[in-house]
Amino acid sequence: MSASAIAPRRKRLSDGLTVTQKVFIRSRNGGATKIIREHYLRTDIPCLSMACTKCPEIVVPDAENNLPKFILSNDPPEFPQPIGKHYVVLDTNIVLQAIDLLENPDCFFDVIIPQIVLDEVRNKSYPVYTRLRTLCRDSDDKKRFIVFHNEFNENTFVEREKDESINDRNDRAIRKTCQWYANHLKEYGINVILVTNDRLNREAAETTTPNKDEEKLITKSLMQYVDLLPNSEEIKDLIPNLEPTNNQELIKSNNNVSKEPIFPEYYSTARIMGGLKNGVLYQGNVQISEYNFLEGTVSLPSFSKPVLIVGQKNLNRAFNGDQVIVELLPESEWKAPSTIVLDSEHFNVNDNPDDDNNENADTTELGINGTSNIVISDKDRRLLAKHAIEAQKEKKVQPTARVVAITRRSWRQYVGQIAPNSVDLQTGGTQNVFVILMDKCLPKIRIRTRRAHDLLDKRIVISIDSWPTDQKYPLGHFVRDLGGIETAEAETEALLLEHDVEYRPFSKKVLECLPAEGHEWKAPASLTDPASLAKDPLLANRKDLRDKLICSIDPPGCVDIDDALHAKKLPNGNWEVGVHIADVTHFVKQGTALDAEGASRGTSVYLVDKRIDMLPMLLGTDLCSLKPYVDRFAFSVLWELDSNADIVKVDFTKSVIKSREAFSYEQAQLRIDDPNQTDDLTQGMRALLQLSIKLKQKRLDNGALNLASPEVKVHMDSETSDPGEVEIKKLLATNSLVEEFMLLANISVARKIYDAFPQTAMLRRHAAPPSTNFELLNEMLHRRKNMSISLESSKALADSLDRCEDPKDPYFNTLVRIMSTRCMMAAQYFYSGAYSYPDFKHYGLAVDIYTHFTSPIRRYCDVVAHRQLAGAIGYEPLSLSHRDKNKMDMICRNINKKHRNAQFAGRASIEYYVGQVMRNNETVETGYVIKVFNNGIVVLVPKFGVEGLIRLENLTRDTNGANFNEVEFKLNFVHKETGKEREIYVFDKVEVQVKSVLDPVTSKRKAELLLK
Amino acid sequence: MSRLEIYSPEGLRLDGRRWNELRRFESSINTHPHASDGSSYLEQGNNKIITLVKGPKEPTSRSQVDTNKALLRISVNITQFSKFERSKSSHRNERRVLEMQTALVRTFEKNVMLNLYPRTLIDIEIHVLQQDGGIMGSLLNGITLALIDAGIAMYDYISGISVGLYDTTPLLDVNSLEETAMSSVTLGVVGKSEKLSLLLVEDKIPLDRMETVLAIGIAGAHRIRDLMDEELRSHAEKRVANASSR
Repeated sequence: MSASAIAPRRKRLSDGLTVTQKVFIRSRNGGATKIIREHYLRTDIPCLSMACTKCPEIVVPDAENNLPKFILSNDPPEFPQPIGKHYVVLDTNIVLQAIDLLENPDCFFDVIIPQIVLDEVRNKSYPVYTRLRTLCRDSDDKKRFIVFHNEFNENTFVEREKDESINDRNDRAIRKTCQWYANHLKEYGINVILVTNDRLNREAAETTTPNKDEEKLITKSLMQYVDLLPNSEEIKDLIPNLEPTNNQELIKSNNNVSKEPIFPEYYSTARIMGGLKNGVLYQGNVQISEYNFLEGTVSLPSFSKPVLIVGQKNLNRAFNGDQVIVELLPESEWKAPSTIVLDSEHFNVNDNPDDDNNENADTTELGINGTSNIVISDKDRRLLAKHAIEAQKEKKVQPTARVVAITRRSWRQYVGQIAPNSVDLQTGGTQNVFVILMDKCLPKIRIRTRRAHDLLDKRIVISIDSWPTDQKYPLGHFVRDLGGIETAEAETEALLLEHDVEYRPFSKKVLECLPAEGHEWKAPASLTDPASLAKDPLLANRKDLRDKLICSIDPPGCVDIDDALHAKKLPNGNWEVGVHIADVTHFVKQGTALDAEGASRGTSVYLVDKRIDMLPMLLGTDLCSLKPYVDRFAFSVLWELDSNADIVKVDFTKSVIKSREAFSYEQAQLRIDDPNQTDDLTQGMRALLQLSIKLKQKRLDNGALNLASPEVKVHMDSETSDPGEVEIKKLLATNSLVEEFMLLANISVARKIYDAFPQTAMLRRHAAPPSTNFELLNEMLHRRKNMSISLESSKALADSLDRCEDPKDPYFNTLVRIMSTRCMMAAQYFYSGAYSYPDFKHYGLAVDIYTHFTSPIRRYCDVVAHRQLAGAIGYEPLSLSHRDKNKMDMICRNINKKHRNAQFAGRASIEYYVGQVMRNNETVETGYVIKVFNNGIVVLVPKFGVEGLIRLENLTRDTNGANFNEVEFKLNFVHKETGKEREIYVFDKVEVQVKSVLDPVTSKRKAELLLK
Repeated sequence: MSRLEIYSPEGLRLDGRRWNELRRFESSINTHPHASDGSSYLEQGNNKIITLVKGPKEPTSRSQVDTNKALLRISVNITQFSKFERSKSSHRNERRVLEMQTALVRTFEKNVMLNLYPRTLIDIEIHVLQQDGGIMGSLLNGITLALIDAGIAMYDYISGISVGLYDTTPLLDVNSLEETAMSSVTLGVVGKSEKLSLLLVEDKIPLDRMETVLAIGIAGAHRIRDLMDEELRSHAEKRVANASSR
């Protein structure tokens, strides 16, 4: 962008509205384009201060005829004179660096965000922009943040001057805004402080001489501002840890020796663009190995297998999940993926956080050759890429690459704890300490804190600020403390944060969208009652199904009942079967705050001791929940099924139903099995069971997979809510009854909405696994058991899994199923325009099209499917955002992510509680070896559903005498306790001692297994 | 550039207008008195349009003669430099332009008293010098002005306007940024009535929102009609003054 030579003219259109032109030059693809846009300036933008008596006169209503709300308090926080009562204006750099601090409930009240700052923030970081917007939206009564549209205000708009850079102009605009506010509010005794970390901006504010009737601007850096706060001591720790250059003036002065950079600099943008175009650089997401934090892989479209990145230097400060640019390394450095296990918490434990300059001697030991400085021409690089693709086809050696730039950081807030040995217990002041993160794929973070003592043994949240080339570890700052390690609250909160689950209570705005009647809400007694019709004209399109004998079957203690069923014999001998799903979309209307919240949460999260709802309790457990004995709105799928369970006819309708009974799986089973029960409801349930068995058989014949996961359930003591015992999940016939009909409903709905909205139907697919995923497992099966898994089709896979039987060990089959589940692709939500019809296939269920429709209380996908189905049957028009590919794409991405996170969070919760259970009872259990490494083995214990690594050090005293055979998946060593020579193969059944230990470095409890 | 705040929570649009505000509207007539029988130059925001009306005149070929009424022919020339980036090829025979011409002819056939001019041809040429969204509405306005300048009998003004729908908020007189970001409709309103002589819906719009969209569109079109009327009257006064002074 460059300055325009001609000053744009202004034209007054009417009183209070002036138009000017915004002119700028945009360069793209080497060409320059002159962009001219209209820019309207107005005088009706209010200051939004409650103290102001002038602005309420000028405001105008918006499209909904609402007037803007005046938010800034007329009694803002007071500082000692000369500042006194004040509002705060923020600069862009403060928002970008310290958004956590802005969200802190104990500081920053009555804040004005100039529009130009908001724009700059949005261009720099969209997530921060969203957080800032949320802050402005939800902080009415407490924190009072507002956006002031200075760019559209005639009094505060500044034109860019000749030869002025865009940044300087924006800074000037911010100062002008402050000046305007200061003058505007002078008579009410309220001052304005500009908080900025930009020294030049501060200086400019102080040197510019204001007009005679204007006062000088008050500016503060973030540090200076926080110093003025009454609670500054607590807040100071939360100030971001900026690059040493910035806080040098404040903290360091001793360390002025220019340091040797540890990491290579990133390439320039121009070089990256060129490289990507020429095909010598590649872009992809880094996936750090679960077992070795110094090894990552990048999946690139042009390579059949992921490319390896080995070692700290080659990873070049990339975090797990970052989007990076990589460059292939010369062939001499290609290698097989390491067979070493390495996690960051035990690596370089003795590094000193204050020492910036330690050359680590052990890098070479670990096979980390620094970046090679061999110059390779582009032509050679392309040849290299060809070699690399060929090399991947052969087996062992994999091409390696190094990171040359990071296009997008995946940084978020992380949970961790302070490494105790990095804390100097003598000094009480500010010190550098290491924080070890819960996610073991990530490096340690260096933070500065003055509360290191208090924070020991606490789970803390930190945020990462930067990772300069001369720092061995990234720099971060403390955000808040969650509570003591191993306290249930802290651990639960930690894992929710770590999996990015929104768990805060619903905001006021969201709760306002609920029906005003609250729990008193009732479905209208008659659908033709004119009074109810007047309230809800759509009522006429509902069907009254209250005469049907409907019941629900759920896990015991279920309160959010999504689905209910009924079956009735028709005169022609066929069955009428109905699946009734809670009509959530009746309450969650498109475009409301409630809908937005549901969409962003995406799913409910089930933890062992807690449920994080997607929708407020009132809906989830009462108004939507299909509770027995009361009238509820439902969305019904009604089939006519013949005795062979083939669909004769299907019909969809919104309805009102009355469930006769809510069964648990056991109760339903008992009722069906009890020959004395012959009432119509039980008969219906029996029919449902018979039909479901036929449906299941048909599905299995089509090649549906029967996979397994080592899932367990933790029983809680109902009084003390301490974890009691662990149980492997059991399945009853009634589980499968419900499941089959839900699958049928989902498939029928998927077909219907795809038919009505071929481009944007909300669907779910499950891709066939690529054969490479199964390579290792097949190799292991072949070597050890002479079995194999066929991947030709899902049918072939299902059959070959059935054949993987070990007559001596019935569990072996389950083990293979568990291991093959891990080789599968994850199912995903998508909109129908994103893939072609053949790719809609759900591999696991062996159906051509599938969606989620049956649990709208706990999944947002179902909510969308409900709306689309309602649109498809003409119940109500479908809103635009579910018909727009881009918006559907955003929804799908979000719910895929949230769904994955929810699963991980649930598993992590179980893992934690299993650890707590094991803590109390140490036992010897049977386990299975599922992986063999050079320096350890991974054992799965089915009883607890835990798997753990047994390190070589714990297997044997003589680690050098151990022998690892990669081809045979065998590890030989002298057993530690018995002193005998032992051979461990993969799939071996072993006795292990299970106990749970607290890791002294990370203070994480994990299952420790010891080979017996 | 992609994720713009099309309509901010504070109720302001990308260019600083509120939801129900028109863009700058400036027009003049009789701008090309030697080249045509009626002409107009219109700036609606950054849409800049010259319209020339030639006729009623004798048709160039026999086949065009209609013994009952005049033939209306409209050609739209969207110049290659009208957008930010110069387009490589001419727009003349593009499907989109041909469709626009047909729509315009259909709109004006009903509003020009063609039966007064049998056996003649009325030829309208439009040159779009610069475009910035909602072009169809501006074309209607330009033609109306030029036809009046040419003294061709019409029933009433046709004023054109486009309205976008952002979530649930209708936005009046969309510019090009807004036009690409949401669905919009173009209407041509007859005079101060609520009669629509053109309703162009090229994107999907929920039926239950259509009414509010039309309501604000009609209100905007009436404003435009007044602005055009003002310009015509002041122009006429000037001409009358000139004539009488002579």
